[in-house]
Formats: sequence, structure tokens, C-alpha cells
Amino acid sequence: MKPVTVKWQRNLFIGTFIVPTFVFFCIFTIYPVVQALYYSLFDWSGMSENKTFIWFDNFKDMFRDPIVWRAVGNDYFLVAGKIVGIMILATFFAVALTRFNFKLAGFFRSIFFIPNVISVVVIGVLWNFIYNPQIGFLNAFLSLFTKEKVDIAWLGFTSHTIWMLLPPAIWAGIGFYMILIIAAIQNIPASFYEASELEGAGQWHQFRTITVPLVWEQLKVSIINIMMTTLNGSFVIVWIMTEGGPDNSTQVMGSYLYQMAFRQYHFGFAAAIGVLILVLSLITTIVLQRLLHQETVELS
Amino acid sequence: MKAGIRNPVVKIIFYAILVLWGLSVLYPLLWTLLDALKDNEQFLLHSPWALPDMPLLWSNFSYVWNKYNFNQYFLNSIVVTGGSTLLGLLLSASTAYVLARYRFKGSNALYLLYISSMMVPFILALIPLFFLMNSLHLINTAIGLIFVYASSVLAFGIFVLVGFFKSLPKELEEASIMDGASHYGTFFRVMLPLSQPGLVTVAIVNVLNIWNEYIVGTILINDPKHYTLPVEIGIMQAEMQYRTEWGPLFAALMVTIVPVLVIYILFQRKIASGITAGAVK
Repeated sequence: MKPVTVKWQRNLFIGTFIVPTFVFFCIFTIYPVVQALYYSLFDWSGMSENKTFIWFDNFKDMFRDPIVWRAVGNDYFLVAGKIVGIMILATFFAVALTRFNFKLAGFFRSIFFIPNVISVVVIGVLWNFIYNPQIGFLNAFLSLFTKEKVDIAWLGFTSHTIWMLLPPAIWAGIGFYMILIIAAIQNIPASFYEASELEGAGQWHQFRTITVPLVWEQLKVSIINIMMTTLNGSFVIVWIMTEGGPDNSTQVMGSYLYQMAFRQYHFGFAAAIGVLILVLSLITTIVLQRLLHQETVELS
Repeated sequence: MKAGIRNPVVKIIFYAILVLWGLSVLYPLLWTLLDALKDNEQFLLHSPWALPDMPLLWSNFSYVWNKYNFNQYFLNSIVVTGGSTLLGLLLSASTAYVLARYRFKGSNALYLLYISSMMVPFILALIPLFFLMNSLHLINTAIGLIFVYASSVLAFGIFVLVGFFKSLPKELEEASIMDGASHYGTFFRVMLPLSQPGLVTVAIVNVLNIWNEYIVGTILINDPKHYTLPVEIGIMQAEMQYRTEWGPLFAALMVTIVPVLVIYILFQRKIASGITAGAVK
């Protein structure tokens, strides 16, 4: 074979293996993302073909819209609540199931991951029934301790209803991060723990001086991942459980985008909310990277 | 050598926390099954944890399966999940192999492009995707949904499989090329069989994610003929406000959950290794 044909064959192979995927990726991922940035500069009701270019007016409207601000607040409330709730419980479970010599550790690990394989829609419906005022689990449970039958509409408060969405979000998220942290702990050489045990160190001391510093990278990745998935995806559970209500009090950026686009047909405005989500998640990633990086220095 | 916990009181408290959390996970599943066997009267008159009355209402299952057309939605979910998992795997494995083994101009940039797309919120693409699919006449089609889902799992697949291909020994490929096999022959006859564990891991994680996906399905499908299971669950739950059929709703949840639970039980280790591999960025 001539060298030219060898090279040609190699290139042909690379081409046939790279190009289809790339074309596909361009059409269904890159093109829509770029289009979204473009749409955010238009006043557009979607169905009619007349789009009006309005520069940054959608963004101006957005910053004047109190619901957007409330949505941003709710998003960060969920981010903070989920980071605290998930990280504490997931870390505790990961340590308990690897370091504490519990019987049935493998069994618990399998069970704890189950919520992560169930669809968010199903989780939303289940928790709706826990909170249901007439036939719900929570009210029936509370009624055991009261004379009158409790009939609180848990998802009907005009303020603080967003708190009710935190337990399902935490419940559904723990298993995934627990598995990540368990994998990180299992990578720590056993000799580290053995050495400190010889010195008579207790579990708490080992946790602080060995486990946390050595799985810090994984904790950091988990925290950033929780933030990103919350800003990008928490709206699904919000949409299933409250549709952003009552009176927009549980609206998050994603659910407001969905409502604006597919219920009210303000596609340009909705695209602008999408851009806001992108910008905020990038900024928050950078901020968290900085904050968590300093911690590592202090610990080591 | 592990010391475990020395203080027995602390040990009992920790154990209790684990058991409580385990119950909080298992009980809702049991509850879903039991409630799927009740009629409306039992929901209103008895406490939520009451066992269903005899005879058990297994008819709720046949009711959602036939009257709510869950037979159709179940089939749709299988077609869409299967199709997009296979297509996604084919597209990501081919690119991942080339990126892992061949150097060419722009190969690094291409890899970074795929990986960084994981940082972009998917919801941003939702509106343009709707109009794109509309103009391609792919709204309300299984194939449209398959294309979007396959594309949404590319980055994860490429990331995990590049790592996997790199971990395989190069000697076998070199021997195969020496024997005069083409690049294609080497890939299909030598590398693909070797990479089966990695492919299965990626496939399983994708199957779970696609089977459970709700929002894209809701936006791209509005013809009941093409609903997937999560899309129909969302609609059923919204209808419950004026049409109370709680038993059938729980039966519908069971129909949606059981397949993923079976997959989870069968492939637990694969799933754990898949998410661990995918998160080490």
C-alpha cells in the first residue's frame, strides 16, 4: 500500500466516526443554544412570523418584573437548602456505610439510591399525596396527636410554600451524592486510617483529619453539581407540585420560563430568562470554585 | 481493620437514623402499591396507611392499562428509550474511540466542546428546540424524541467512553492492524467486544434518564398517541383536580416505576460505576 492511501484511509475512518456525531450535536444541541441567545433579543409571540428586534428590552423588562426576582430568590433558596441538606446527609451516610462497620451496609446503600432511579414526575406526585390536605399522609399523621382532624393545605400558603418543596428535592437527591462520596472514601488508602487508629484517634477525629481533606475534591464537585442541577432542573418538581403557585410564590426561573414560553407565548422574554439561568449558573460556579478552593488551603 | 463506633449509644442513634431513612425510601413505594389497590371511598374514609380492603382492586391496573391506554404509553416509552439509547451509544462510542486513540487537528478542541456542553443548562435550548422540531415536522413523532434524547446523552457518553477506551491496552489493536485489518475491522471486531463493560454502563445510565424524562417529552409531544409514561403521569395528575381516580393514578405510578426498579436491581453495580465515572470532571 502506498503511504498516501494509508493516510487517506486513516482520515476517512476518522471522518466517518466523527462527522455524524458532530452534525447531530450541532443540529440538536449547539444550534438551539445559539438560537436561544438570539431569540432573547426579540419580541416574539412564537406563532406569528413577525418577530421584532428590540435589543435588550426583554432583559430590561425582566429586571423590572418582581416575579423574576422572586424566582431567582427561590432558586437560590433551593440551592442553599439542597446543598446543606444533601451534603450533610449524603456525607453522613457515606461515612456511616464505609467506616462504621455496620452490618447491612450494602443493603442500606442499595436502598438509599432508589429515589434516584425514579422519575421526578413520580416523586412530585408522591409528595403531592404526602401534602394533600384531605387524604394526605402528613395531615393524617398529625391528626393522631390532635382532637380535631388536621386539614392544612401544605402547598397552599402564600408565603414559605417553597419550604415544602425542599424535602422532596433533598429526598430525591441524596443517593447520587452518597455514591460519589462512598467511591471517594473507598479510594483512601486503608493505611491512613490504620495509622491514626494506632495513635488512638476516634471516628470524629479521623473524619476531620483524613476523610474530609481527602474527599474534598469530590465534595466540591458535588456541591457545584447540586447548584447546577438545581438552577437548571429544579423547575420540574416545582411544575409538577405547584406550577409556581399559589400566586407565583414558588416560581423558580425554570418554571417561569416554561410558563412564559408555553403558556403565555412570550418566547423572547422566556429566552431571556434562559440566558439569565445560564449566566447565573456560570457565575455561581466560579464563585463556589473560589470559596471552596480556599477551604482546601486552610485544611491542608 | 476498622474500629467502627465505640460508644454503644452513638452506635444505636446512628443505626436508627439509617433505618429511618431506609423506611422513608421504602415506605412510599409500598404505599404506592397498596394505594393502587384501593377505591376512592377507602382513600376518603381510611387513614393513608390503612391496608386496602379485601378483595384487592387489581382492576385498577387493568383499568389504567386499557382505559387510560397505558399499554400504548408503555410501548412508546420502550421504543423511545430503546431507540435513543442505541443511537446515542453508537454516536458517542464512535467519536469517543477516535478521540481516545487518534490525534488530529482540533481533536482536543472537539473533546472540550462536548465536555463543556454539559455546563450549559438544557432548559436554555428548550424553546428553539421546539421550533426546530416543528419546522422539521418532528413534533409528535417518536423519531423526533429519539433524536433529541440521543443528542442529550452524547456528552456524558463521550466523556465516560473516552476514559474507558484509553484504559484498554493498545497491543491488541496494534496486533490487529499488523494482521492487515482495517481501522473499521479493528474497531468492530477487537475494540467493541472489549469495551462492552463501558458500553453497558453508559447504556444503563442513559436508559434510566431517558425513561424518566418529562419536560422534553411534554414539549415535543401533544398527541396522546405518542405520550411516554412520565408525560401521561403529569397529565393524569393535573386532571385529578376535577376527576378523582386516585387508585388508578397510583397504579399508573407503579407501571412507571417497576421497570426502572427491575433494571436497578439487576444492574446496581453498573449504575454506581457509571455515575462515579461521569462525575469525576
